[in-house]
Amino acid sequence: MQRRDFFKKAALIAGSAAVGSTAADADTTTHPVDNRKVANIAFPQKRPLITYSDRPPLLETPREVFATPITPNDLFFVRWHMPMIPTYINPHYFSIKIDGEVKKPVKISFDSLKRDFEPVEITSVLQCGGNSRSAFHPTPGGIQWGPGAMGCAKWKGVRLKDVLAKAGLKKNAGWIKFHGLEKPVYTKTDGFVRALELSKLHDKIIIAYEMNGEALPYLNGFPVRLILPGFYSDSWVKMLSNITVTGTKPKLHFMDHAYRVPDNDCECETPDNLAPKTKPIEEMNVNSLIGYPTGGTKVKQGADLIVRGVAFDGGHGITKVEISTDGGSSWQEATLDDGSQGPYAYRSFRYTLKPAQTGALTLMARATNTKGETQPFAQDVKWNRGGYKYNGIDEVTVEVVS
Amino acid sequence: MKKTTVLALTAAMLLTSLSAAEKKVEVQKGIKMPYMEFPMKQGKGMYSTKGKCNMCHSWGYVLNQGPQSKAFWRKKVIKMIDVFQAPIRNEDIDEVVEYLYANYGKRVKG
Repeated sequence: MQRRDFFKKAALIAGSAAVGSTAADADTTTHPVDNRKVANIAFPQKRPLITYSDRPPLLETPREVFATPITPNDLFFVRWHMPMIPTYINPHYFSIKIDGEVKKPVKISFDSLKRDFEPVEITSVLQCGGNSRSAFHPTPGGIQWGPGAMGCAKWKGVRLKDVLAKAGLKKNAGWIKFHGLEKPVYTKTDGFVRALELSKLHDKIIIAYEMNGEALPYLNGFPVRLILPGFYSDSWVKMLSNITVTGTKPKLHFMDHAYRVPDNDCECETPDNLAPKTKPIEEMNVNSLIGYPTGGTKVKQGADLIVRGVAFDGGHGITKVEISTDGGSSWQEATLDDGSQGPYAYRSFRYTLKPAQTGALTLMARATNTKGETQPFAQDVKWNRGGYKYNGIDEVTVEVVS
Repeated sequence: MKKTTVLALTAAMLLTSLSAAEKKVEVQKGIKMPYMEFPMKQGKGMYSTKGKCNMCHSWGYVLNQGPQSKAFWRKKVIKMIDVFQAPIRNEDIDEVVEYLYANYGKRVKG
């Protein structure tokens, strides 16, 4: 009795749901866990978020935030890999060091980034590859995220290409390594280092110093982070401090063992028959999320209910979002926003209906992109050992009252 | 002639606004991270496991992996040693794995 009370209290203090067992295990997929509450402690520069860990901070955005197409900075999800994160950085003494296979190693100061390079802006979704991981069974290793390990912001910064040009790439340059200021406890280890193949460098990849018109929050990478529109966030290195150009593909734990999916057409496997080859997760697949209503909301019979949410993909562009109120038998098109934020941003949708009957009403949303790719039903998403790239059709059940 | 003056003025204004913006950035004084308690389940090996894992990360990082098989926990512990140099001696691996499986285990293959 006493012990239970203790845990109850402790759980309240932590304010985060400890992940428990959910559905049956048979390499199946269900809807991700979606009933976790925000913590009653706010992290710096943030409102209270769903909190999985304080060191390193792992914070998820609650569903209702996705009723609008821009995610406010203080509600934006947070995911760090290393436990040691600087808690004070003077931007005027901050610089990015560029070395390796370059003609002239350089240090570019934060002030120079803002002063000497052409500023560019891009609105882009930032989504963790393991977003909605809790949908996969058997439970893959990794944080059991619900659907809110993502957000969309307007980023302002400078082109990575322009910054690299200051140092000048040597002819044999093949890969670009990125390293931020987060540190492991034991310094001999690798740290969180990511690499991009030079052939994948393009003009939209930027080093951002502004997020939604403000300085980046510390927990989102102050003072600068890498922005790779269309790609999952594993390479969006925060507090970016070092860029090293290499000739060949560098050996890195976080490239070679993490953020990979089976290298086959379905990107799938079973626990008993793991794929022999894997590839990086890279480009995001088509996905959508209902922001309003949230599960359990009470709505009035016969009254207008406006369903709102966001849809996105890896940058090809969303063509339609459809809503179903009959378990996916029939679909009606939702209204999309004008798309003026570009193909990498959330496309917000809305759909108005009048619930006819009282009782439980389940709403589903399904997005389709310009390539004709669409979302599978939750139970049809194929399993992979890392629990990456979940994009099952979203579902919310409300209660219609008379 | 006039054009130059206007240009110079604009440049001066730009400079002023830039330094104002920079000042604003500097106001950001740094942050203080909160500590959050993620209680561990009572059980044999709890204190020893706590000491070894919490050296580098919150207990939340462990329990929010979800319930896992013994093989999974063993693989994780070994990864922590091999990749991140967790201070766990070979002879202590079993104790940590047993604690994790007994309290955060799931009886499945794999």
